[in-house]
Amino acid sequence: MSTTKRKPLIERLNVFTAFFFGALFAIVSWRLALTYLPMDGEHAPLFTREDKITLISMISWFVGFMFGIGALIGPFRWVAGKDLTHEENMYYAGKDMGLKRYFRYTTDHKVVGIQYLVITMIIFGIAGILAMLIRSNLGSPEGGLINPQAYNSIVGTHGILMIVGAIIMVTGPFGNYIMPIMIGARDMAFPRLNALSFWLIVAAAVPLIWGQFIGGISTGWTAYNPLAGQSPLGMNGYIMYICIFALSTMVAGANITTTVIKMRAKGMTWNRTPIFIHGVVASVALALPAFPTFFLSQVMSGMDRALGTNFYNPQGGGSGWLYEHLFWLMGHPEVYVILIPAVAALMEMAPVFTRRPLYSFTVAVVGIAGIAGLSVLVWAHHMYMSGWAPLLNAPFMLTTELISIPTGMLFLVLVGTIWRGRVWATMPMLSIYALLWNFLIGGVTGIYLSDVPADASFHGSMYVTAHFHYTLMGAGLTGAIASLVYWFPKMTGRMFDKKLSWIGFWLVQIGFNVTFMGMFAVGLAGQPRRVSVFDEMFNFGNQIATGGAYVIMAGMLVFLAGVIHSWKHGQVAPMNPWHAKTIEWTVPNPVPLENFETLPEVHDDPYSYGKQKESV
Amino acid sequence: MTDIQAHTKKSSRWWDKKDVRQTAILTVVLTPIIGYLASEVQVRLMGPPASQVMKTTENLMYIFTWAAAPVMAIVFAIAIVSLSGKLHYGDNPPPEADHAIRNSSKTNIVWVTLSAILCLFAVVGGMVVLQHDNESILDDAAVDINVTGQQWVWNYDYPDTEGVRSQELHLVVNKPVVFHVTAIDVKHSFWIVEMGVKVDANPGAITEVAVNPNKLGVFNVRCAELCGLLHSYMQNKVYVQTQADYDKWLSTQPRRDYPGNPFPQENGDMKTQDATEQKGGNA
Repeated sequence: MSTTKRKPLIERLNVFTAFFFGALFAIVSWRLALTYLPMDGEHAPLFTREDKITLISMISWFVGFMFGIGALIGPFRWVAGKDLTHEENMYYAGKDMGLKRYFRYTTDHKVVGIQYLVITMIIFGIAGILAMLIRSNLGSPEGGLINPQAYNSIVGTHGILMIVGAIIMVTGPFGNYIMPIMIGARDMAFPRLNALSFWLIVAAAVPLIWGQFIGGISTGWTAYNPLAGQSPLGMNGYIMYICIFALSTMVAGANITTTVIKMRAKGMTWNRTPIFIHGVVASVALALPAFPTFFLSQVMSGMDRALGTNFYNPQGGGSGWLYEHLFWLMGHPEVYVILIPAVAALMEMAPVFTRRPLYSFTVAVVGIAGIAGLSVLVWAHHMYMSGWAPLLNAPFMLTTELISIPTGMLFLVLVGTIWRGRVWATMPMLSIYALLWNFLIGGVTGIYLSDVPADASFHGSMYVTAHFHYTLMGAGLTGAIASLVYWFPKMTGRMFDKKLSWIGFWLVQIGFNVTFMGMFAVGLAGQPRRVSVFDEMFNFGNQIATGGAYVIMAGMLVFLAGVIHSWKHGQVAPMNPWHAKTIEWTVPNPVPLENFETLPEVHDDPYSYGKQKESV
Repeated sequence: MTDIQAHTKKSSRWWDKKDVRQTAILTVVLTPIIGYLASEVQVRLMGPPASQVMKTTENLMYIFTWAAAPVMAIVFAIAIVSLSGKLHYGDNPPPEADHAIRNSSKTNIVWVTLSAILCLFAVVGGMVVLQHDNESILDDAAVDINVTGQQWVWNYDYPDTEGVRSQELHLVVNKPVVFHVTAIDVKHSFWIVEMGVKVDANPGAITEVAVNPNKLGVFNVRCAELCGLLHSYMQNKVYVQTQADYDKWLSTQPRRDYPGNPFPQENGDMKTQDATEQKGGNA
């Protein structure tokens, strides 16, 4: 179908054409909407027409971007009855293409993994800068560094970016790069969906940035209605961002789940499947029911703004509680979407660095499954104080506190594994200790918060903010950074610089504990969340928190330097630097295109360290 | 946590194992330290309670902290003991362990049973208090006060007083009160910090919360739900007074034309003037 002179379409599309077509579609439809959309009637809510125009332009951007990146070629060819040839598929996989494949719709899971890693770091970088702006503004009681409108928008953008970054930080880079090799597969089950899930995240980023210039997201990351209904046009950016990101998560979830279920190596029964894989599957499988409700909540939010519906508008018979339910039906499973793979990754490393078997694989799996199962039954603990149904507070308190039992199992597995082990002092190993410390504090403060009478004091205060930073950052991000150091040799062929990883680790952990201990203190004393100014009485705690935040920033910059330096000049890594027993360490560096010459066979679980003993 | 070898060899008892002994001692030492520090520091920071509700909350904090303390202590103890051995640095792994315990059903059962007991203990403790709080809303003898949140002030209506509305809350000491809370624009959250009560103010719905202020003084109401531009400034004082002082204050307040309707006709369009200004100014 391609002539000798012209390159076929499939070879012409890349990230640059994607941005070009995205912008072109957006501008054209913006111009058309501006001309042809009728003016609002007298009784229409304010800015309905502007909302319509903004949403139409953003949707057009999205369609244009997906066309420009080449996501539509496969489906169109399939519909036309001319599916891709083998050569075209190899081209898609990025065969012999060098650096260029990272800027294209490439289906190789290793390329997607690196793309995810880079975009996660960019997201954390931006959201981290926003965090520093927040903490700087809170360095003195009267704030004043940032005006309240911009401040609210920064708080909301920081929140949603960090949440999105944290959702993809383990399952994105390591779930895509490492997981297929770990289970002995040549690629994911649906390579094109894999590329799609990544490029959807890039497509989603633009509406969010766009939104910053048309009023921002002044509602916090939760974007509660009816506040979101009266917010400036930037809210549309949030709505589009969530819708596209939810699509990406659903696609990735279906892909990863299918891959693990169908493509494990011969002999890899569920009992021999590494615990990290169990964690990743639990996480993405949890996202499958969660994110459609998030998608729906935002579609309805957008309709309220642009089409005059009244889903959430009390004046029209709607209810803000409806929004809260849809939001938290996603929102609580989502924290475990973040946490489970990070903890599972550390469980994967614990046997390697203590040279002992993983303590009770069964308890680990039951713990993960228990958390995943219970987490869909607890969403209304975010709504104890909302008054939607006071009589249901007690049952939700029960389900919430029951989660501490499977969570305790994860602790048992970790302490059981390090118990009497000879500790190999590496940065990932230290991260296991950091997780035990941070996650215990996050977990115990979670028990106070799950208790309704105590929550009456803490809900909506800085105490909550500190609590979820302890779990998501103290436990989740700690696990993600440890994973980066652990799998860096396989992903880049070079060791992560030891010194930089240690310095970064200590700076981040110390800064983190200082920051959020200060935040616990002001929360206990009664400082609400998301405030730009505060009482004089909270000054001391806030100054400590701000000081600590600068230490975190320093540590993160050290890590960033570590990544860049090690990627370029790091010591060349052997095939299996940690002497681990999972399959990904049996393939050479750099990993060949289809991972294995012959597919591996599995005869045992990967934790047979030490002299074996019969279990008791 | 018991060690396998202690069970298999009859001659050796659990305290003969150095690691086990150290862990046990550390757990016993750490438990009171963690329990005391964590509960005292937190409760001190919460400040002196201004109501029975807050007092009960602080007691719950003590109970939960002391219940969690042994769990935290044993995890930290195991971590410390494992770190106190010789750490292995270097690029190659340390020799493999000779205590390769893959599982111990006994330990698992003990661990899960204990955590289940602690968890149920917390749930039951919380439910007893919750039940009491719910009942106090039904108290017929209580004074009613209607609270209306709007961007960005709280309005307090005193239905027993023929039309007094204030933007600072005045309460009589030791006289139970039930707040009927709503909002006219977006969601707010009504929080009397020192009394430990909170409930969201939802447009289009009325929520209730009850408290018996038992301490004279000046306290704080803060909005605990992000409600737009000036959310941070949405706070005011609560004056808990003697009946005489309260009556004196009441007599100085103007009466409004207010025919007993707890929620006056202020609920206009969602995107009211405030919203217009905010939106127009930034669009």
